[in-house]
Amino acid sequence: MPFQAKNQAYNAKIRPLTIGTGDKAVTMGGNNTLPFYEFDAASANAPKIGIEISDIALEEYVQPQLKEFYAGCDTIPAMAKRAQEMPGADFIVLRFESADPNGKNTSVEECAALAKEVADVVEMPIAIMGCKNVDKDAEIFNKVSEALAGRNILVLSAREENYKTVGASAALAYNQKVGAESAVDINLAKQLNTIMTQLGVSAESIAIQAGSSAAGYGFEYLASTLDRIKNAALQASDAMLQMPIVTPVSTETWVVKEATLPEEEADEGWGDAEERGINMEITTASACLACGSDAVILRHPSSVLAISKMIEALI
Amino acid sequence: MAVKGLDIFKLSPKKNCKECGSPTCMAFCMKVAQGAVPITNCPYMSDEAIALLSEATAPPMKTIEVGGHKLGGETVLFRHEKTFVSPTRYAAALSTDMDAAAIDEAIAEMKIVDYVRIGEREYVEYVYIEDKGGDVAGLVKKVADTGRGVIVDTESTATAEAVLAVTNDVIINAATKANYADFNAIVKDKAILGVKAADPAEFYEIAEALEKAGNKKFVFDVTGATIKQTYENAVVVRRSAIKDDVKTLGYPSIVNVGKLAPGDFHLQDALAALFTVKYGSIVVLEKMSYAEALSLYGLRQNIFTDPQKPMKVEPGIYPLNGADENSPCMVTVDFALTYFLVSGEVERSKEPVNLLITDASGMSVLTAWAAGKFSSSSVQKFFEEFDIASKIKNRTLILPGKVAVMKGEIQAKLPEWNVVVGTREAVEIVKYLKDKEYEAAAAAAAASKTPVENKNVEVIVEGPIDYSKLVIPEIPHIDMGVTYQQRDPESKKFVTIGERIHCISPVIKAAMENFDAEPILKRAAEQIKAGATYLDVNIGPAESNGPELMTWAVRLLQENFNNVPLALDTANKRAIEAGIHVYNRTNGKPIVNSADAGSRISNIDLAAENDAIVVALCSADGIAKDNDERMTHCHNMLERGLSLGMEATDLWFDPLFLVVKGMQDKQMDVLNAIKMFADEGLKSTGGLSNNSNGAPKAVRPVMDSALVAMAMMQGLTSAIINPNDRRTMETIKTCDIFKNYELYSDSYLEF
Repeated sequence: MPFQAKNQAYNAKIRPLTIGTGDKAVTMGGNNTLPFYEFDAASANAPKIGIEISDIALEEYVQPQLKEFYAGCDTIPAMAKRAQEMPGADFIVLRFESADPNGKNTSVEECAALAKEVADVVEMPIAIMGCKNVDKDAEIFNKVSEALAGRNILVLSAREENYKTVGASAALAYNQKVGAESAVDINLAKQLNTIMTQLGVSAESIAIQAGSSAAGYGFEYLASTLDRIKNAALQASDAMLQMPIVTPVSTETWVVKEATLPEEEADEGWGDAEERGINMEITTASACLACGSDAVILRHPSSVLAISKMIEALI
Repeated sequence: MAVKGLDIFKLSPKKNCKECGSPTCMAFCMKVAQGAVPITNCPYMSDEAIALLSEATAPPMKTIEVGGHKLGGETVLFRHEKTFVSPTRYAAALSTDMDAAAIDEAIAEMKIVDYVRIGEREYVEYVYIEDKGGDVAGLVKKVADTGRGVIVDTESTATAEAVLAVTNDVIINAATKANYADFNAIVKDKAILGVKAADPAEFYEIAEALEKAGNKKFVFDVTGATIKQTYENAVVVRRSAIKDDVKTLGYPSIVNVGKLAPGDFHLQDALAALFTVKYGSIVVLEKMSYAEALSLYGLRQNIFTDPQKPMKVEPGIYPLNGADENSPCMVTVDFALTYFLVSGEVERSKEPVNLLITDASGMSVLTAWAAGKFSSSSVQKFFEEFDIASKIKNRTLILPGKVAVMKGEIQAKLPEWNVVVGTREAVEIVKYLKDKEYEAAAAAAAASKTPVENKNVEVIVEGPIDYSKLVIPEIPHIDMGVTYQQRDPESKKFVTIGERIHCISPVIKAAMENFDAEPILKRAAEQIKAGATYLDVNIGPAESNGPELMTWAVRLLQENFNNVPLALDTANKRAIEAGIHVYNRTNGKPIVNSADAGSRISNIDLAAENDAIVVALCSADGIAKDNDERMTHCHNMLERGLSLGMEATDLWFDPLFLVVKGMQDKQMDVLNAIKMFADEGLKSTGGLSNNSNGAPKAVRPVMDSALVAMAMMQGLTSAIINPNDRRTMETIKTCDIFKNYELYSDSYLEF
């Protein structure tokens, strides 16, 4: 008897989440299979790629190819505008790294003003990331959500410590989408989604940010958390885990030594640091997508190109 | 996948002849399914049924060994379900149409990638040789000489024969729907055959034919016409074998990403990562650059880590940021994540530091400290083993802030060093090192040191304890308004061991340091009042005064509370021995808490020598993978105890209760292990409340009481719990009523 593979599409599906407005709006999620299992059922939406622009990118994006890509951009809004030209880019992620009270402590007002300037020149959907200080982030998210009202942005992210403030302002007051961030733990991810919905944020407005890590740096925990979230959402129909997963990759991969150690200080054979960084970003992003991320956030045009080619070939 | 009794029954003669010894065919088939009796006990069973059973008990995926590596043998689709066993291997491609210089260059380039990452050699394990005419066998020989496995891609049977004349340790990747019979005739029983097909159905067709021809040593080259088809092939083949029990598809896979994205190395990198996560046994790239290896091998190491076994780094000196003998030392444990966090932060600080990694069985700092694996003795042993004092001249030693408590003991054991307490969290390291906070602290440590001559109060750790020399502080007798009710040590009632006297509690820790009786007696009284059968006494590692402290604690508790029975809980054996020396057995033998099947197995000997009960943790290094492993540990410890003259019932087996938040899918395993102990007539215990660790306070009693009821149904005879949790204690009392160990009366809860 000829072999017939069992079709294993699920009845449950991941909720679609749309960010941005008009022609450039993008939708992630919506699928009822494991990642790229097109042979079970066609994907409703391909995974999306966000481009990270840090507010200190002018000083920090020093790698030669990366610098070349942004040649001539002397402001963050100019860089954000240019980033849209990266083949494979779906949305722009503005990261307020300098707002950290232990660092430059850029004020909330300055952040909001920058967001406005960026939004004025960018047509793609916008996501924003904070500085990892829960109190400061809550303030930034509030002000930026207000400044970009109507743009349907994705706010990354509410955490257990500040979900009430972030949920109430970004999602409820300004009708933006919100990421719910937990530290690589499926139980915490479910709990945060549950209390966010209890707060009144609709499950349709939430993305899961289940943590992130670079390949080789405890990535097994992230891989298993993503695997388990997708299995729980699809196989066990767990409504509190059926949100699409957004995973920041560049924020982790460009700080490990494989990406930062200059060639002259590295062991023999390591070669060009930028190339190492690109490989780290590609490897990590590809593995995240294979485990279930519905969107990844990347920085380098070469990584974006490779990952978008892979997505296109698989869907 | 296990075959079900009913499936066998369908194939049975259904005549109930009883010749097999079972009353009915149904009963017989159920026993066969459990593996209790062989199917051949039935004289009338059909060949079909016998074949079904042998097929059903075979593993879902074959393990193929070639080129020095095992491929396949997987039993799960996701690593969290159990673990992956055979890491993806990587191959670089060569072809015979390259000229000799190009080949030499490619081989030289391949050889550059060869380094060690967390105890694992990272290099290109296979070479994929494409036959484009010319001397294939010669190239095979050349490649085999580099110590790499060989895969030969050819369409020619003559080439295959020539290669097999050189080596049999090779994959001949050649069989297609059109030619598999010819290649099978040449390769079968000699080497591994590679099978090429368009889609899963065609793989099945060829595999079925090969199996029929008696070949079960082949691999699937799942590389399809497109990336999409390749992914489908890889996933469907693996999923069908493991989840849907299609054993004919249970063979390892080759994925040639070089063919899928020729010349596009970044896309090859993305695909190599994809197929590392999803089911490639060997991934072939056009070449492996160092940059690509660094990330790809890191990913592989993570994905193929056993979720139950922590990743460990090798103990030793790790000089960071160009540290030399004049740089300060930081000491920590060998848990890989700790190492990466700490070394990463130190590197960010750019300050030269010698990072000292000690053997702590892959545990994190606090866990290792509590288990006695990261102690002043282990640090001292490390310093001796690695001869640190002569390798490093700087005398500043920075401890992790979380184990500040060890500072005094380490300072005493390493008097030449200036011991300094570092940061509690890794993220604080950069600032700490940059600000050189440790320098002032080291100077202070040096200044406060008493001259070495006065430090001669050597702690004796060998030979019998000289009890005449133990100086035991006074034992106060204070009326706490509670008496311990005399008990029958033979009683079948559930034994609760109260866990509240534990040195991790700051109050108890301080009391033990100062021999302050009252806080300890207060906690004892609370637990006894709440109905605890035993009290656990955890004094921590107590390296400097274990025997004194334990003697004092045992006498303090027993004299104040009518000889309350105790569990003596410490990694310090001499402390346990001293405690038992003064122990009164009226209300039950002392319990040694605890032994395991690994490095702590000798605590069974300690219990045997002292006629004590021992808590026997069914684990060796890390949590047992499954119940087979739990039972192996159980039987090892049982055998050891019995051979030393112990009663089987004096070993209380601990299955290790696991946290629901994190190990929810393993809870039933633990409960089933308890049943297995009970079925063998063994007693059991364990830290039951660990299940609800991290859960909200209001939820914990509900979880604990539900679990204790389920566990008592399985035969659990004891638990280490917090007796002040009324809900759980009432549940236990009620279960004892149902088990008929306690006579019911309306007010049974009040006693």
